[in-house]
Amino acid sequence: MARTKLQISRRNFLKSSLLSAAALSISSCSAQPLATVLNQNGLRLPWFRTGEIKTTYNYCDMCPWRCGIVVKSVDGQIYKVDGNPADPKSRGMLCARGQAGPSFVYDPDRLRAPMIRTGARGEGKFKEVTWAEALDYTAEKLKITGQAFGPEAVAVFGHTSGDFWFTDYFAQAWGTPNAAKPSSSLCTSPREEAAKLTYGLPIGGHEPVDWDAINCIVLIGSHIGEDARNTVMQDFANAWARGAKVIVVDPRFSNVAAKADYWLPIKPGTDTALLLAWLNVLINEERYDKAYVADWTTGLEALAAHVAPFTPEWAAEITDLPAESIRATARLMADNLPQAAIIPGRHVTWYGNDTQRMRAIYMINALLGAYGREGGIYFSKSPYIEAYPHPPFAVTGSSGGCSAEPGQESAELPLGPTGKARADGARTNFLRGATAMQELIPPMISGEPYPIKALIVYGVNLLNSIPNPQRTIEALKKLDFVLAVDVLPQEHVAWADVVFPEATALERYDELWVVAHKTPYIAMREPAIEPLYDTKPAWWMVRELGLRLGMEPYFRWETAEEYLDARLLSIGSSLDKMRQTNGVIVQQGKPYFEDFAGESPFPTASGKIELYSDELASAGFEPMPTYEPVAEPPAGYFRLLYGRHPVHTFAKTQNTPLLNELYPENELWLNEDEAGRQGITNGQYVWLENQDGARSGPIKVKATQRIRSDAVYMVHGFGQNAPELSRANGQGASDTKLQTTYALDPISGGAGMRVNFVRIVKEV
Amino acid sequence: MTTYAFLLDLGRCIGCQACVAACKTGNELSPGVQYIHISEQTRGVFPALQSSIKNHRCYHCADAACVAVCPTGALYKEDGLTRLDASQCSGCAYCVDACPFNVPQLVNGRSNKCDGCAEVVKAGGQPWCVKTCPSNALMYGERETIMAEAHRRAEALRVRYPHAQVYGETQLGGLGVVMVLPDQPEQLDLPANPQIPAVLNTWQNVVQPASVGLLGFSLAFTGLAAIIARRNHKQEVAHLHVQNSAEETAAVQPDHANET
Repeated sequence: MARTKLQISRRNFLKSSLLSAAALSISSCSAQPLATVLNQNGLRLPWFRTGEIKTTYNYCDMCPWRCGIVVKSVDGQIYKVDGNPADPKSRGMLCARGQAGPSFVYDPDRLRAPMIRTGARGEGKFKEVTWAEALDYTAEKLKITGQAFGPEAVAVFGHTSGDFWFTDYFAQAWGTPNAAKPSSSLCTSPREEAAKLTYGLPIGGHEPVDWDAINCIVLIGSHIGEDARNTVMQDFANAWARGAKVIVVDPRFSNVAAKADYWLPIKPGTDTALLLAWLNVLINEERYDKAYVADWTTGLEALAAHVAPFTPEWAAEITDLPAESIRATARLMADNLPQAAIIPGRHVTWYGNDTQRMRAIYMINALLGAYGREGGIYFSKSPYIEAYPHPPFAVTGSSGGCSAEPGQESAELPLGPTGKARADGARTNFLRGATAMQELIPPMISGEPYPIKALIVYGVNLLNSIPNPQRTIEALKKLDFVLAVDVLPQEHVAWADVVFPEATALERYDELWVVAHKTPYIAMREPAIEPLYDTKPAWWMVRELGLRLGMEPYFRWETAEEYLDARLLSIGSSLDKMRQTNGVIVQQGKPYFEDFAGESPFPTASGKIELYSDELASAGFEPMPTYEPVAEPPAGYFRLLYGRHPVHTFAKTQNTPLLNELYPENELWLNEDEAGRQGITNGQYVWLENQDGARSGPIKVKATQRIRSDAVYMVHGFGQNAPELSRANGQGASDTKLQTTYALDPISGGAGMRVNFVRIVKEV
Repeated sequence: MTTYAFLLDLGRCIGCQACVAACKTGNELSPGVQYIHISEQTRGVFPALQSSIKNHRCYHCADAACVAVCPTGALYKEDGLTRLDASQCSGCAYCVDACPFNVPQLVNGRSNKCDGCAEVVKAGGQPWCVKTCPSNALMYGERETIMAEAHRRAEALRVRYPHAQVYGETQLGGLGVVMVLPDQPEQLDLPANPQIPAVLNTWQNVVQPASVGLLGFSLAFTGLAAIIARRNHKQEVAHLHVQNSAEETAAVQPDHANET
């Protein structure tokens, strides 16, 4: 009996194990059971095998460069973002910040519902309300402000890629010229105005460097790699590997300086002296593109006379660089002309003389014959597409700043419905350019030239981007109404009366991304998932506000898809058709002289590159750049320099879980020998105090040979005082809070921020 | 059999960490876990400086110490790369101690490291880090192709850096991550000639085979002993029976004395 029993049970055992093996192999086809099995073993099935992958097209919002991306989601959860191979910027690749797009979406600290303030302003006490309540309340406040002070009394600040809806569409429809973007006067205004003054064209969002054929690359302060704009890293790496020569001018041995053929560790603030000396060498040694200069520039004789005294020896004294290096680098550029250029930087608001410095850069590029030449600086072209056919706006022209299409900016300042032009001091305190955000703060306090009573702030980290945040807080206290639209409870959100929680870029449709480029192109944004929580896209918010404010004619469209399809119809396309071409429409450009059939590509008065600027001379400015010394750090102080880290964007990403993990706090770069003299060790925490007594939070010292001993450096965007940001709050030090002063560029309205000095405090 | 490899060009690498983030998101690594670590290396005194990027990751050694010490077969070589089947891992951490580059870490009690994105690659894709690298410092492909590209790049790099060289062609039997170095390996915090610790060789070549032999011997010995013991036991029992039956025969009439 016993033997028979054993035989049966053995047979059963074999059968059952065969069955379970079969079940296991079947279950690997239908993912869920295997996932369960794996989970029981403490393992996990990779996301790309758990279900059907949904692919949507988007352009990245993790930095303003806006690479085309494909977003992969499974069962309503976003898992992975990759570069879109069809996109001219990303070309299938993506930086760390872009990779962290889903991490930004799933940041548990996100704003979840509309809120109305209950405590004192700045206290951060709110009650959650419905969208209807929040919209009604906001519309009422805006209506009261408009009736009492005119629509111009509402300022609109916007940043990141949904800013179009508030800063451009809503502001112009509502009727305020006081709409501003930080990308202008806190960043690129000087280079844009200098370019338009010198050769009639703006630089635009994508610097038109012809990387494919350039043979000599000159970077002034640009720290490619740490400034991780995807396309620029790709282009630089390819040019460098091809053997292009690289000259880096930077007080700090940046990662890109480590790849340079020449690193010029310049004394901060003396760049214009170096540029004048380079001009001197190019002209004196007749190392410039003579035919090009004769055909396409005016004012060479005046320039030659102007720069004659500015020898390399003269500049060596000022810049703390050897005269031979200055001469050798000028010759290296000349040896490679016209495949040589100084790359227009991006953040160039440094010392308040920045438009003139940028003009000197463009003059050198002109002498090298770089503009419109293969391997130099190409002519970028905007793609053709019509605006949405809305009725004329209450304020016409570009009030918002860098959104203006080339050639469409008006020389006259746009006026609001009650006849008021911008309150930022354009034409009185500075000559020209996009609205200067920081200059809209004083009218909020003083009421001059007229009062600004309400502020809509969309995606601008107000207290961690505009210098003199102490003054901004004063303004926030004085305003009648503040609306904050944001994804995260940033520091300034505590100062709002109403908070609109926004859906992230991966959860919404948005305005098309229309890019002036070598190959002009248009990219689309569509949601990968439904918005989380009770968040809404900006287009929906402005439409709901508009309908409550009697602005129906501007909001005949009901959905973003309808708006977008109407625009796309003007080029015979649609959202559906764009999806067929991987979310991108690429058009033909006109990058080189040959594409202009003998016409001048330079829309200046002379039709040429103006080395001598009549326009500046007649406005009372130096027609050619001169070197003006900037204030030196007082004894015991260092000049405060700041820059980028490859995994962070401005003051936006410090709380993003993935990026926070990779770089949670900034460090103070301090010259190692100087640290030794002060008895400070690597890794020690110190405090900083600026020339006005403003203090930073504790920051870890990075004692290094990689920086001059007269300056310190930190990555921008840290040291936020925002208790609702569980990861970023209080981490590292804030450069902005140490920038109690700035130097206004009298030409472009840019806020030069490298005029602040700090001393190191070891104990508090 | 085709072997595959990564190319890691430290000339091109600009330290942007895109690979780190792509690896973390693509492989859904837990907070605190990274398969790639980027750091800077600086040499010299201001202003005569040199600097490069260190890209620390699994280098997929052909003679992989981690595979040698792994008692369960969780770590194994496939297509030239070092794979990890975490479900087989017992969490002994021998690999953590054995790796000459300090790569594997224990996460939730199991070994954890880059497996060359095995699933993605087998499905026809590129490893996450390679796919996203903006400076084109990373490539993945057949080892021969990668090796040729590495030599091409190193030669081009020697115009700028006279000591530029290929690393990983021979080290540890050939690495699955072939590096293009702008300088001597020692300058870049890499051992010129990394070795598997002698103890490991002993472990792999002597102790493990010996232990297998010993195990066989002990099993055989035990079996033999059991057979002998059983035979002895039977003999003893038989002997007892003979005695008993003799006694019983003397007492009563026996009729089934030999049946047991």
